[in-house]
Formats: sequence, structure tokens, C-alpha cells
Amino acid sequence: MTRVPTFLLQVIASFLAGSCLAQASSSSGEEFSEELQIRPLRDGRVASTFSFRTFLHGATPRSPESLGSDDNSQHYHVFPLALGQILREYAVTELHLSMNAGKWNYDEWGYPGELGVATGAELWAWMGEGGISTVDERWAGLRNALSGLFCASLASMDEQRTTSPLMAFVPEGDLPNWPGPHLLRHASLPSEHVCTENLTPFLKLLPCKSLSGIASLLNPHRLFDADWHGMSVHVLWHANKGVEVGLSFQLVSDPLRQSSSKRRDWSFQSLFDRSIDNRCPVASSSTINVKLPTEEAYSLEPSPSSSDDGIGRYNLNVEGHLPSDIAMRWPSEFQYPLGSASVPLVPLALQRTLTGASQANGHLALRIQNRLNEELRVVYLETMPWLVQFYAHTLSATVDGRKHAGLISNVSYIPPLHHSRPTTFQAILTLPPKSTVALSMDVSKAFLRYTDHQPDAQRGWDLPSAIFVPLRNGSDRLDGHSLGQRIYTPTMLIDLATPDFSMPYNVIIFTCTVMAFIFGSVFNLLTRKFVVVHLDDQHKE
Amino acid sequence: MERLLRRFRRGGGDPNATRIRRRQTLVRHLSNRISLINLALFVAAYVWMLVIPFPNLGRFTYIDENALQPGQVTAYFDWGNVHTADLYLADLESLRDLNSTSAERASYITTQFKRLGILAASQAYEFDASVGSLKGVNAYAAFPSPRSPGTEAIVISASWLSRSGNDTLNLRGIATILALADFLKKYSFWAKDLVFVVGDGYLDGMQAWLNAYHSTPQSNLRAEELTLTSGVIWTALHIDYPGHSFSHLGIFHEGVNGRLSNQDLVNSFERIARSSGVPTVLYDHIDWRDNAASRAELEIIPLWVPSFLRDNHDVQTYAFQAKNVLRHVGYQARGKPSGVHGLFHQFRIDSFTIFAVPATGPHGFHAIGRIVESTLRTANNLLERLHASFFFYILTGPYRFLKIGLFLPSAILISVAVMFSGLKIWTDAGWVPDDSPTDSKTNSPQEQWTTRKRPVLSVLRVMVLTHIIGALVFWLITRSVVINSQLLLALIFLGVSTLPIVFVTLFPSPSAAVPTSSVLKAFSLCLASTVISTTAVLNFSLAALLAILLGVPMTSARRIDSVPIKVAVSLVYTSLAFGWLIWPQGELRSAIWNWDILGVWTAPFISIVYAPLMLQSSIVCLS
Repeated sequence: MTRVPTFLLQVIASFLAGSCLAQASSSSGEEFSEELQIRPLRDGRVASTFSFRTFLHGATPRSPESLGSDDNSQHYHVFPLALGQILREYAVTELHLSMNAGKWNYDEWGYPGELGVATGAELWAWMGEGGISTVDERWAGLRNALSGLFCASLASMDEQRTTSPLMAFVPEGDLPNWPGPHLLRHASLPSEHVCTENLTPFLKLLPCKSLSGIASLLNPHRLFDADWHGMSVHVLWHANKGVEVGLSFQLVSDPLRQSSSKRRDWSFQSLFDRSIDNRCPVASSSTINVKLPTEEAYSLEPSPSSSDDGIGRYNLNVEGHLPSDIAMRWPSEFQYPLGSASVPLVPLALQRTLTGASQANGHLALRIQNRLNEELRVVYLETMPWLVQFYAHTLSATVDGRKHAGLISNVSYIPPLHHSRPTTFQAILTLPPKSTVALSMDVSKAFLRYTDHQPDAQRGWDLPSAIFVPLRNGSDRLDGHSLGQRIYTPTMLIDLATPDFSMPYNVIIFTCTVMAFIFGSVFNLLTRKFVVVHLDDQHKE
Repeated sequence: MERLLRRFRRGGGDPNATRIRRRQTLVRHLSNRISLINLALFVAAYVWMLVIPFPNLGRFTYIDENALQPGQVTAYFDWGNVHTADLYLADLESLRDLNSTSAERASYITTQFKRLGILAASQAYEFDASVGSLKGVNAYAAFPSPRSPGTEAIVISASWLSRSGNDTLNLRGIATILALADFLKKYSFWAKDLVFVVGDGYLDGMQAWLNAYHSTPQSNLRAEELTLTSGVIWTALHIDYPGHSFSHLGIFHEGVNGRLSNQDLVNSFERIARSSGVPTVLYDHIDWRDNAASRAELEIIPLWVPSFLRDNHDVQTYAFQAKNVLRHVGYQARGKPSGVHGLFHQFRIDSFTIFAVPATGPHGFHAIGRIVESTLRTANNLLERLHASFFFYILTGPYRFLKIGLFLPSAILISVAVMFSGLKIWTDAGWVPDDSPTDSKTNSPQEQWTTRKRPVLSVLRVMVLTHIIGALVFWLITRSVVINSQLLLALIFLGVSTLPIVFVTLFPSPSAAVPTSSVLKAFSLCLASTVISTTAVLNFSLAALLAILLGVPMTSARRIDSVPIKVAVSLVYTSLAFGWLIWPQGELRSAIWNWDILGVWTAPFISIVYAPLMLQSSIVCLS
């Protein structure tokens, strides 16, 4: 019944869009491109990365000096206005937001297409200083605005979670040469769980929504059933080019979970339960890249329009047949690999645990394995809410079980302040080739006021990921060229001393009784007048 | 009574004096009747203990935590999965027939997990205990649940040996774990990681694994570090399926040092199993009334009981529930875990053992698979750990239990009675009848009493020394030379038997006027009372046992004048104190093993706290 009208509407819309918008977008210096990258993984899963890029040619970020005065009017065609307004209102030069669910398995899946794969939400921004409001005021406004825009609890990434970890986070674009310096603000919220209410506003930022182009594959029912899924927003400024907004959605699906035939065959239908039925008319380029397996026989339908470097490319923007459903098949059943990969996908293997059964103290233990045949230097960043305090003097490192000095250098440690500032611990680790470095540090756990507890008090508190960034070829300077790709550890849960909130009345009654007893006795003794009473005389009467 | 009231009401004069007099009268009446009050307290307490298994006491179990929602899901474990389990079982049986080593078994199990696409690893461990050393290899696998951050985990475990003893293997339990791993990974609704552990041995493997998981050092354990870890473990289910089939599913819930798992979890499982059509029992106690075929062998009421009582339904229920309660006390008072699940409790993990009671039918992999699946779904629903105070209870049947208020007072009453007698003796020791010529001014016919000094320090010295000797005995019996030799144990017993005489000769009373014996008795009674009441909230069964062992014997210990009788009586007390050194050999060895490997406190508690108290009573008799 409803298929025909919607189809008609889509046709009309695409005609309108095709005739007006496409024309407009090119003339006003806006450019939109979309790309889908699909990668079969060695454990039978399939990683898909949707990237949507909008370029605003010739634009510059708003200088904080101009915050007091009226801003230029914003007329966009494909650039997301809702996001643009936030960026200008708070004069944000560079912004990175990611919201993910699941645990990225670096050992089996390698580096992700988008680096920000920390569980939960992560937001970091570079903002210029100066003008009428401070960076922290604008950072608070930015959090609240993004929180409203994406229906997420980003507003709770307040000053108790905000850090400025300069070693691990460097600008990915360029920073304008303004009089004031640029400052970094970073916060993460590991307990945030991404779901459909975040996807809907995300889709609204796309010029074709999820109606056409590769975005039509974004079916929430399948995306949020995937083993790992996450969305991210990046805003960068490239000098001489303009402002770039990148929106991306990543997921790792498991075709073997659903299939009964033990095959890892996938198709758009099986992964997303959708197909691409029409093109996004405003997209200047629209491509699908499929990573081709190198070691086994497979079949790919339809065959890609071009293939190089082991990647099959489909261009949706050329006239002709639209590859609406791409399917990859293998001739035989999938066997899980029994050993570890001969060529490691990432240089490091990480294991981070928080041990200790006590609710007052604990022990943070890390095992970092360097899988390369050469020495590796990595930036190690640990940011913790104030609930956890490190005893930095207990930090010790061993290499394959033997004590070793000189592994840790450039340590910077900002201890936490209760109810106001989180811990920031940064250091550079030197990892000997083919070895396992074990780091350990004692931590103390905070004793909370009863009003500090979360509604689900007995669950514990989520602690954010640690971040490791390998340094390229022994360089000592920390900038965009020397830093490799970030690696996040899984998040952790910490148990703090928690009262049993399910029986407040027992506690109140108990405490009140004890207090009444103590008060009564003390009061009695203080106000009583002691006199000598002669009983014998009375007795004789 | 009338006279008493009249004296109370008699006013006149100073109201303060009246009040003081009234108080004195009350205290005098109470202290004159203290032995009667004590007797009443003892009788009430012992009757209360006997009443605990009463069918009308207690109530039906219920689910307190609303998030659990037991049995509200459709179970998908089907006959295809049963076939998978059968295939695993065939492999495991051939491993058993080949007499394979621990390492071979672990490598088989890890390979099977890896074939399923679940990361798996093995862990070798070795214990050096005074009873003997133990080693083995554990196999475990961690399934990172889709979409979840992996900060929380549920453990599903099985051990190589079953709890039923005689080296019975738990092959079907392990096959169930493997089949469940194959099945559970197909679903995306898991909010917590699933960790599968196949422990080697019976308790030792899991102890090594849990210690490594929580990085808890244990001096006599050498174990490899775990290469795979997951988040905080909230729940653990241990599967023990020794037979070919099973008729009932049994619940074992006692942990190390008498810790119990949260009752909500046990109740959820019980409800799920019963609604799936599998009857549940507590332990492996099948009600003989349900089982007409083996009625004779299961019947527990002695034959001398008249038949009108034997056939009475309430008496039968009482007998059955008493059997359950006694089994519970047996585990809890020894501090010994009733299964592998008991090791988890110390890390704040709720766990219990699902024991498939061996029978010829009718249930098998299909039933246990579905029930475990449904129980896991229930545990998966939890948004918070189970925290409502359901940790103190006595299950009298699979679905009947006693709340803490219904059993705790029985032990406390005894503790109160012991404290009363101690305080009475302490006060009495301070007074002596005055034999000196009476003052001419007072012509009252009443006896005259004067105060005297009570020897506190010398008594405390004796008490501290007995406890030190207890600690010494404990140190001796944990040496492997001693524990493995009957002769040495007997020598130690002989040594400690002579101790009271040594004490009496070393620290004789300076004179008959100094009441050393009374003060010692008063102090040891007060200490015993404190020990009983403190233990009662930690481990009720141990407190009840202490109350029975210490209560009447210690209060009735008194100074005896006849030499042969007092030596005999003091020997009885010494045997009560240290008789366990020579009598049940297996019991002592298992207590020492439990202390060495699992850290069960019973052995040190008995040697350092209980035995010295009895030794003090023995000294009281002799001095």
C-alpha cells in the first residue's frame, strides 16, 4: 500500500534535489562525499565503515575574539546546520566525538577505520583562547549543546572528567594562527551506551538522511545487533582548504552468529537487511570499497568496477547499473584460526586489570606485549575520575618478569582533587623487542558520600580506557607526524564501598537508636546531681 | 508477691532512697535466681535448636530482586545441542579411557573452545600442602559478549572430578559446558561476558584459577598468570553431572568459612528448574515419600519410633527437614565448601552448584542445558549485584527457608546464659563470709560478708598461655611430618593432656583464700560467651555447635576436692579440647587440607580459640 507513494516521493525528491541542490552545492563551495568500506576479518566477522564527508571550501573556524559580536549568517545546503551553529556559537576549531558500544578486539580486527573506538563516549576539542568567555565556559556549552543534539548524556562529562592530555592527542587538522593559544579539552564517559536515539539525530545531519545512497543501509535493527558498533563526528580545519565535517558509523557484524551453515558469507541483505536502491544526488562521490581476501578463494557479486591493492571499488555515481546488493561468498565452511596470527595486526597486545578484593585499595596491573622485532616507544595515557587515586611512587615495571629500570620516562601526573578534578597520568614507555612489559601501581578507592552514589549504586563505577600511542621511528617530538595510531584498552568496573540502599529504614532506625542511647546516657550523667542517700536509717524505721 | 509489692509501694521519706532500695531488691531477687534463669535459658535454647526443622516454622521462598524475572524467557537449547554435547562426551570418554594427563585434557578443551571461535587458554598450577602436593592444568575460555563493554562477567564452570567422591569424573558436566559454549555464543542478548572454566581436580583447580584471576597471592601456590581476563565476575554457576542421567537437580550453596550465596539466585534457579519439569532437592536428599521404589533405603526415621508417629506426615516432614539442616550445619560449621562454587563467595561472587542427582532417568543434557540457559538469562538481567540481605538463612527444603530471626536467638540465648553465669561467679568471687568476731554493735543474726582481692593478672596469664599453647599445637599439626604420623599426633595429645596438671603445679594458688579457680572460670565463661555471640552472625552453625560444646560443660566445671575424681574430670575436659588430635583421623586431615589450600579458618579456630577454653575448664577442675 504505502510502497508506491513513498517510492514516488523519493523519485520526486531526487529529481528536485538533483536539479537544485547539486547545482547549488558546487557553486557555494560545499562538497559532500560518501564512502563505505567493508573488510572481512580473520575471525569470520565483517567490519563496515560508513564515512560521510562534507567540505566547506574556504571557510575558517570562528575566532573566539569575535564571540561578542554578531556572527556571519550561515547558509548551508549540504553542510549540517545544527552542527555548524554549535561550532560557531562556541568557536570550536577542531572537534572529535565518538560514541561506541562493545569492546574493539585489536588482535583479531586490527586497527579500526576510525581510530576512536573507546567504549562509551569520548569527546575532545581544540579551542582558541581569548574573547569574552573562557575555554572552559565554551567547553561546558559545547558539551551541553552536543548532548542535546545527539540525545546523549555528554553533559555529564563535566570538569570532574575533563582532562588535557597533550601527549596523546594532537590536532589532526590545522590550527589557525590567532593571537591566543589553542587549548585541548578531552573527556570520556565509558558508561554511555550508543543506541537508536543517537542514530536518528546522526542521520538528520546527512543531506540524504537514510533515504538514498549508502546511508540507506543504516538500518538500526541490524546496526545495534552487531558485535561492535559506534558513530563518530570529526570537525577539522585544513588551512587553504576549509572546514571538513566527517560523520562516520562503524560496525563489526558476525555473519556466523546468524548463519546455520557455518559460512561467513555476507551481503548487504544479510548484514543490513537493506539494499541501495537509489543514489544520493548531492554526493560528489559515492564509493564502496571491499577489502579482498588474499589467501582464500571467494566470489564477489557483482564484480567491482575497479580493483587495486587488494581492494575492490564500486562507484555509485557513474551512470549505469546500481550495485544495490553486494555479496561475498566462500566455497567452504569457515574454520576458526586455532593459533595466533603469524603477522600481528597491531604492534601491541594489551591487558589491563584492576585487582584487589578490598573496597579501599586496589592494584592496577597492565601487561603490554611488544610483538615487533624492534624496540618500540609508546605514549601511555591513563585518565581516571577522582574516585581512583594512583600511588605513583609504587609504579614498577618488569620485562618478562625481571625488574627493569629506564622503561618509563617523561612521566607527567596530575593527581585528582575530590569532587573537582580527574587524574591524568601520562608517560612514555620504552618496550624492548618481542617482550612483555608488566606495569603495576597501587591505587586507592574513594569513600563516597551517600549522595555521590549513582542510582544503580551496587553496579560499580565505570573507568575509562587507557590509551597507548606508538611513536614512529624513535622520534622525540610529539606532534601529528611522530604519533602513530591510538590503541584503547577495554574499560573497567570498580567497586567502591556502597551502603545497601535497599534498606534505608533499617539503617536510619539503627543509627538513630545508637545516637539516642549515647545522647541519653551522656545527658543523664551531665545533668544529674549526685547526693549521698542513707539507706540504713530508712531501713530501721 | 504481695509482700514484694507492698515493699515496693512503701513510700515515705526520701523518694531517691525508695528508688535505690527498689533497685537493690530487684537485683537481689534476680541474682538469687540466676541459676534458675540460666537453666531456663539453656532449656529454651536447646528446644529452639530442636524446633528449627519444624515443618510449620519458616516460610516458602520468594524472589526479592525484581530484575531477576526467573523463567520468563523461552529456552532455545534443543536436541541439536544435545547431540553436540553427546559428541563432546564421546571425546571426553576416550580421553578418560586413554588415561590422559591433565595437560592433554586441558589442551583438548582449549582446542574445542578455539574451534568455536572463543578465545581459550590453559593455566598450570601446583600446590605445596602439608598433606601432600597437588598439581594440574585448568582450561578456560572467555566469550566477549557482543555490544557489551566486558566489564562484568558470568562464570560457568565444571571441575574434572565430581563432588560425589571416589574419583567420579564430571565428564557430562564438562560436555554440558562445551555444548553450552557452542550454543550461547549464537545470541547477542548477553549483557555480561561469559567465562567458561574447566577446573582440574576437584577444589584445587578452581582455587588456583580464582586466585590468579583476582591476583590474590597464596604462599603455597605456584600458578601461571591468566592470559585472558574479563571484567568483574558477578555470578558463577557450577555444573556437576556425574551420572548417566538424573532424576532431580540438587542445590549446594555453602561456601568457604560458612559463607552462603545470595538466596535470590538459588531461589531463581529452583523456580526455573521446577517450572521446566525437573524436581529440585536440597543437596542430594531425595524425599523418600516421593520415591516409592527406594523407600526402604532412603527412610531416615529410626525403626524404634512407634508406627503412628512414623506415618504421621508432620513427623516425616520434620525428619526430612532435620536431615537437610544437619547436612547444612555439617558444611557450615566445618567451614568447608559443599562444592566448587564455595570458593567464589570470598570474592563477592554469588554462586552455587547444580548437582544432577545420578539416576537411571528421565532427564539428561536437554533438561540441564535448558535450565542453565534460563538461569544464565536470569543472571544476565541483573543491573546491579544482588545486594538485598539474603545472605543469612537456613534452607530446610528446596523451597522452604528460615529467616535469620528464626534461628539466631537459639545460639544467642546460650551465649547470654554463659555470660550470666560468668558474671555471677565473678561477683561471688569477690566476697567471703566474715569469720572474724562480730562487732558488738551489730547484733543482727545475718551472716557478715567482706570483700577480698581477686587475682586478675595471674588468671589472665594462665588464659593467654593456654591460647599460646593452642597456637603451638596448630603450628605443629600443620607440619607435614606431624600430620602424616599417627604416633606424633598421639604424643602431642599426651603432652597437652598433662598440661592442666603442669599449670596447677606451676601456678598454684598462693592460699586457699585467693579464688583463682573461680576467677579463671568467670573469665573463660565471659570469653566463651563473647566468642559464641560474635560467631553467631558470621557462621551460625559454628556458633550453635560451640554453644552446645561449650555451654553446659563449661558452666558445670567446678573445683573438685577428691583427687581421683578431679583428675578424671579434667581428663574428660582435655579430651573434649584436644580429642580431635587422635580420634577421627580423616576429619583432621581434611581440616588441615582445607586450611592449607582453601584458607578455611576452622582448624586454627578450633586449636586457638575452642580448645584452650576447654583446657581452662580442665584447669578449673584441678586447681
